Amino acid sequence: MSARVAVLVFPGTNSEEETVRACRAVGLEADAVHWNADLDEVRRFDAYVLPGGFAYEDRVRAGAIAAHDRLMTAVREGAAEGKLVLGICNGAQVLLEAGLAPALGGDSSIQAGFAKNAPLGKFRSTHVHVKLAIPPERCAITAHLAPNAVIPGWASHGEGRLAAHDDVLARIEREGHLAFVYCDASGETTTEAIPNGSALGAAGLVNAAGNVLAIMPHPERDAWTFNHHDDSRERARGNANAMLAPSGGIALFESLAKALR
Amino acid sequence: MPMRNSTRLGRRRTGPLPKASFPGIGLSDDEIRLITERLGREPTLVEAHAFDAQWSEHCSYKSSRAHLARLPTDGPDVILGPGQDAGIVRLGEWKGETYGIVIAHESHNHPSQVVPFEGAATGIGGIVRDVLCMGARVIALADPLRFGPLDDPHSRYVAQGVVDGIAAYGNAIGVPTIAGDVYFHDGFRDNCLVNVVALGIVKESEIIHSCAPAGSDGWDIVLIGKATDRSGFGGAAFSSLVLDEKDAEANKSAVQVPDPFLKNVIMRASYRAFDVIRELGLTVGFKDLGAGGIMGCTAELAASGGFGARIALDRCLTSQPDLPAAVIAVGETQERLAWVVPPSFTPRLLQIYNEEFSLPQIARHAQAAVIGTITAEKEYVLTHHGAEVMHVPIDFLTAGVRYDRDYKRRRPRYRIDEDLIIDEVLIADDEPERAADKFSWRRQAEVLTRLTFDRDLALKVLSHPDVASRRTIYERFDSVVRGATSIPSGYADAGVVVPIPGSPFAVAIGLGGNPRYSRLDACYAAEQAVCEALRNVVAVGARPAALTDCLNFGNPEDARQMGDFVAAVDGLRFAASQFGLPFVSGNVSFYNQSASGESIPGSPIVACVGVIDDVSHTVTPAFHRSGNKLYYIAGLSSNALGGSVFADVFGLENGPLQPIAYGDVRREPNFVRSGITAGAILSCHDVSDGGVFATVAEMAFATRNGLRIGAELSSFDLEGVSDKVLITEYFNEGGGFVIEASDVFDEWSAQLEHYRGAWELGTTTQAYELTVRRGERPSLRWTVDELYEAWSDPLRTFYEGVPA
Repeated sequence: MSARVAVLVFPGTNSEEETVRACRAVGLEADAVHWNADLDEVRRFDAYVLPGGFAYEDRVRAGAIAAHDRLMTAVREGAAEGKLVLGICNGAQVLLEAGLAPALGGDSSIQAGFAKNAPLGKFRSTHVHVKLAIPPERCAITAHLAPNAVIPGWASHGEGRLAAHDDVLARIEREGHLAFVYCDASGETTTEAIPNGSALGAAGLVNAAGNVLAIMPHPERDAWTFNHHDDSRERARGNANAMLAPSGGIALFESLAKALR
Repeated sequence: MPMRNSTRLGRRRTGPLPKASFPGIGLSDDEIRLITERLGREPTLVEAHAFDAQWSEHCSYKSSRAHLARLPTDGPDVILGPGQDAGIVRLGEWKGETYGIVIAHESHNHPSQVVPFEGAATGIGGIVRDVLCMGARVIALADPLRFGPLDDPHSRYVAQGVVDGIAAYGNAIGVPTIAGDVYFHDGFRDNCLVNVVALGIVKESEIIHSCAPAGSDGWDIVLIGKATDRSGFGGAAFSSLVLDEKDAEANKSAVQVPDPFLKNVIMRASYRAFDVIRELGLTVGFKDLGAGGIMGCTAELAASGGFGARIALDRCLTSQPDLPAAVIAVGETQERLAWVVPPSFTPRLLQIYNEEFSLPQIARHAQAAVIGTITAEKEYVLTHHGAEVMHVPIDFLTAGVRYDRDYKRRRPRYRIDEDLIIDEVLIADDEPERAADKFSWRRQAEVLTRLTFDRDLALKVLSHPDVASRRTIYERFDSVVRGATSIPSGYADAGVVVPIPGSPFAVAIGLGGNPRYSRLDACYAAEQAVCEALRNVVAVGARPAALTDCLNFGNPEDARQMGDFVAAVDGLRFAASQFGLPFVSGNVSFYNQSASGESIPGSPIVACVGVIDDVSHTVTPAFHRSGNKLYYIAGLSSNALGGSVFADVFGLENGPLQPIAYGDVRREPNFVRSGITAGAILSCHDVSDGGVFATVAEMAFATRNGLRIGAELSSFDLEGVSDKVLITEYFNEGGGFVIEASDVFDEWSAQLEHYRGAWELGTTTQAYELTVRRGERPSLRWTVDELYEAWSDPLRTFYEGVPA
């Protein structure tokens, strides 16, 4: 039996459909679970994915209200038990606000946040690449990626700039919490590749235990060949099956699925 | 819009006016007399507001209807033409089901000028509901925008607010914005244009109509969404007025307040309701609340099914107690829709919205509630605190009135030339012979004589605000949410989504509507809008399937403005019929005029929806390889520069207009599409603002993040070639496509050699440069980087200079 993944939907979430689709494409049994769902039902899932959107209208700060939603009880308990938790974009913001990431030293206070993009301070939607910046096995969700794997995706957010005190940033780097950094298509980490001014060029953070991953860009929006604008699209020219095949950003979901096997 | 028998108001009616006065009501004396006559009594206050909204230009199309009837609306792929909230065109069959693309096109010009952020946001909100209520999933948005020049601080403020408003709403509800266009023009200083197009996907068997179904006598009318408040009171009537700076504050209350957060949940709850309705096999009615609020929506739902309705205003939840009956009846509070459902289904419907998706917890007082019933008696009745506050014959209310406005057409600068429709080709040299055009050609010659084609001239065209990169704007919009986007904003001439998971079907949307043409000739502008929108979808490999139009004009009571409107309808009709394309949906926005009488350039804005059977046959403008041949696919052009970016940069006013050679223009799309499908066209870009030069430069820019490929243009590399010829060839905006052809010889390449409208333009190069060869004189050369700078710089500062 394949693992069951709950894709959590808060009021204002908007990416549940493509997130469920990406999970299913890699053989996971995934369902969108709404905010009114029975908590015991939610507890029965094997893993949780928090998708993108504007949960609770991003009131106060992005993710701040959703971090206290009922559903998060199940996520906190699950994370403590070692269940895998993946937060994408707004989901990543929720995980930081919930103290589930980066969780330096296993501490679940809010240690870092995703602040307004620099320099405009506005929502920006742009294609990006991220590079795995930890040894793959450091995080269960990335364990089946190649070292230094480069994954394409879309940064589509207004608040994605990692911000924290200098000592926290230093610890994020030193203690192996900096899971993904922005890079160009060839894997070079350049300033131009950072779409939002994020500290450390951070695109994703992992918790101390390695079972919770918060990533700002959306791999699920660049998860099919027809989403791409690189050589893979060219190779699929005139071949509908190849064009409709999962590729690119799907790699993160494949690694998640392998970890859940 | 329902088009039932309406009363024609021509001759002035006589008779006493009602004694009661209705402050703030825009109905004319004649209209009030007509209402009084028909009701046999003076209208109540609620009735006066209801007729004011329902008979407003915005709702009733009273000045435009007669003319709009001339547009072609039918075709083999049309599932639903204009008349309901959105049109539907066939996409194709997948797994035994026929799928349709739902298309709606609206304007939100007046609100956006007065309160840019909220005005634009509610524009998105409204168009999304129009698509949603057809039973469809909303899959994409596109936004044609027109602003005053950015060096005018107020125009800049409006532009920034509009862009942010669209972003805030569209991003939050999770519908990708995949296309758009922006023009800056003096004529939009006092009236910006915010048009919005929304697309949806629906199975033909699951379409829900915006009317009370047959046999629905006694069924429930269920209102869902936000609690009714004071916002948007008089919105329809306000959109039918000339904006006056003095009334700015008062007008603000006519603008609605957006709540994308609530809409996000309403959409998802409605999708759930669609699923349940399908499972139960019910036929129901569903309609968006827009102009005229509860009254406008429920009256049209009932009337279009041949019924009447009875509504208890007390049952409509309000945000505050003691809201006047007229405000509840016609206020345009956002985020509301109404269902007509059998009473046996009502509890389940309420449960979906109120419990499963917990609307009352999402927004204060939001909910689904039964507010009335459909009646066999064709009367529209509103009660408040047990008393009837409105009781009128429903058809009289919804049919509205019709005006045969006087119109005076300007002397056409450009005439539809039947000769050009057959394959006749007009040679440039003949053009100056046409007496009417003599002056314009002389002006063009004078301007060209003063100029030399140098490096700077090209940089000036590329950095014109209508050519420059729109990245700062389109990056504000999420163009990839839903994960189904194949070509996002900024990647090609049209946006493309793959709407059915697992199926290779794709949908393209392209736009057209150039205000520089509008100033010269409204009919020509309309024709070019159709051609341009169509070329945009063809350039990615799509088959044009349907058109929509939004006609933005000045005051229809001004015969010259009305003349422009009539001319534009002629142009739309003519061009669309040339391509055999129907208009399946549309909108008219009049009174885009300032109090000082300054009207916008009458703007027919067209969207074209294209169907792609197999998404693996799509291309973008990005160059592929060096050493490939570039071709210009176009009919012979007269090299007229009137209305071009070049004309604007170099002060060519009233220049000659390029005739549209329909014989060629009609052949090109099929030829280009067949090349794309055959794999022989590697990249393709439609020629528009900035001419062939800008088109080729943009193809080089598109490769920026990966390969670095330039181009050498040698098509006019002739002995003794003059700058005058080079300039007209590279900067005229006569349409057509630039393509990069594969070097692999195949059947299509053979066709290309013999195709009459294919001109070899040059080759792609390894050098990241753009070179123009010009006979014995030294070539002109630019690095692509310097061109890119000139092109990307102007709008980079879009967000600077925000006035306090």
